[in-house]
Amino acid sequence: MTYTSMWFAFAFVLIALLLSVWQKLGLEKEIAIGTIRSTVQLLAIGYVLQFVFHSDNALFIVILIMMMISVASWNAASRGKNLPGIFWRIALCLSITELITMGLMVMLGLANPTPQYLIPMSGMIIGSSMIVSSLFLTHMNREIETAKGEIETLLSLGASTRQAVQGVLKRAVKASMIPTFDTMKTIGLVQLPGMMTGMIVAGASPIEAVRYQILIMLSFSSSAAISAVLISLLSYRLWFTKDSMLRL
Amino acid sequence: MHTTIEIEALGKQFHSPSGQWLFRNVDAKISEPTTIAILGKSGQGKSTLLRILGRLIPPDSGTVRLYQKDITQWEAADWRMKMSYVSQQAVMLPGSVEDNLRTVSTLHQRPFDQKQARDLLEQLYLENLDWGKPAQQLSGGEKQRLALVRTLLLQPPVLLLDEVTASLDALSKQAAQRLLLDLHAQTDTSLIWITHDLEEARIACKRIWFMANHQLLEDAPSESFFHAPQTAEAKDFLHNQIATVAATEEEPR
Repeated sequence: MTYTSMWFAFAFVLIALLLSVWQKLGLEKEIAIGTIRSTVQLLAIGYVLQFVFHSDNALFIVILIMMMISVASWNAASRGKNLPGIFWRIALCLSITELITMGLMVMLGLANPTPQYLIPMSGMIIGSSMIVSSLFLTHMNREIETAKGEIETLLSLGASTRQAVQGVLKRAVKASMIPTFDTMKTIGLVQLPGMMTGMIVAGASPIEAVRYQILIMLSFSSSAAISAVLISLLSYRLWFTKDSMLRL
Repeated sequence: MHTTIEIEALGKQFHSPSGQWLFRNVDAKISEPTTIAILGKSGQGKSTLLRILGRLIPPDSGTVRLYQKDITQWEAADWRMKMSYVSQQAVMLPGSVEDNLRTVSTLHQRPFDQKQARDLLEQLYLENLDWGKPAQQLSGGEKQRLALVRTLLLQPPVLLLDEVTASLDALSKQAAQRLLLDLHAQTDTSLIWITHDLEEARIACKRIWFMANHQLLEDAPSESFFHAPQTAEAKDFLHNQIATVAATEEEPR
C-alpha cells in the first residue's frame, strides 16, 4: 500500500465525523484525537520495528518488549488506583507471563527467535495479559465491595487474609479469564482475527495464516491463566491494611 | 487466665475533611469475665467501638490491650480468635447450613464437633434446620441464630455482639439471651453486647457502658446505672427509651 492510498483511508474518518456532526453526538474531538494518535503511534512503531528488524540486535528486542510491558502495566494499573504498588505487581506478572509463553514457543520451535516473530507475538501476548489483569482488578474491586460482609465474617472467625478473600479471588480470576475463552469459542465464526487477516492480505496462504492464528489463540489460553492467577496471588494483600483489615 | 482488656484513650474520627471525632478518649478496663451492654443513641459510635475491638477497623487514637499485650503486638487472626465480632446483619457464607457450621473447623483444621453444633442449634430452636439447605435461603432470624452458633463454635473468650438479638422474635430472643448467659456462667466467656433493648441490658449484663457526646460517658454496674444514672444525658436517654417502649406497647393493634 502506498502513502497516497493510505491517505484515502481517512475518508472513513470523514464519514464518522459527518455522522457525529449530523446526529450532534459531540464526538468530533474524540474522533480527531483517536485518528491522530493511532496514525502517529502506528507510523512510529512501524519505523521502530523496521530499525529493530534490520539492526538484528537482541538488546533492541528486549528494550521494545520492556516498553510494551511498561505501557501495558501502566494502562492496567489505572483500574487499581486505590492499590499502592499495583503497577510493579502487574509489570512482574506480565513479564513472567511473557517469559513463560514466549520461552515455551521458542523452545518448542513454534516461533523463530527473530524480531519478526518475537516482537509481534510478544505484543499480542502482553496485550491479552494486560486485558486479563485489568479485568481482574475491575472484578476484584467490585467483588470486594459486595462481599465485604463475607470477608469480615471470615476474618472475625480467625481466618487469614488469604482464607478470607479466597472465594472472592476465585470469582474474580474466573471472571477475568472467561472473555478469553469466549473469544476462542467464536473465533473464525464471528470474527476473523487481525493477525490472520493481516497475513492473508500480505499474501500468505490462508492455511498458514490460520496455523499461526491457532498458535496465538492457544498461547492466549495459557497466558490468560498465568496472568490471572499470578496477579491474584501478587495483589490480594493490597486490599488489606498491614493489620489485615479490609481497605475500603 | 482471666480476660483482661484495657482500652486506653481510644478515638475514631469521621472520614470527612472536617475530621470530627465520632468518639474520643474512651478508657475502660475489664479485669474479669463479665457481661457488658453498650447503650446509647444511634450514631454515637457503638458499633464502631465494637468493630475496633474486633480488629476490623483501626482506631485513630489510643490503643487496646488484651492480656497486657498491645493490639499491635498480636497477630490479627489470633486477636480475632480471642475477641470475635458478630455483626448486626447476619452474613451467610456461600454454601449450605452445614458449610457454615463447619467454617471454623475448616479454617483452623480442627475436628468438627457435630454434637456441640447440634446442642447449640437446639438451644436456639434450630434443631429441625436442614443442614443441606443453602444458607442464603434461611429467614432473617434463622440466619442470625446460625451466625451466632457459627461464632460460638470458635469458642472465643470474648464475644462482641452487635445487636444480635434485634431481628429475633420474642421466643428466639429469650433463647439467645439464655444461651449466651449460660455460656458466660459455664465458660467465663465475656460478652460485650450492643443493644437497644433496656430490659435485655438490665437482665443480661453486669455492667453498662453508656456512650454520648462523643465519649464513653458512664461505665457503671448495671444496677446503679438503671437506678441512679450519674449524668443528665444518661437520665434523658433512659427516660426517652422507657417512654418510647411504653408508647409502642400502648399503640392499638
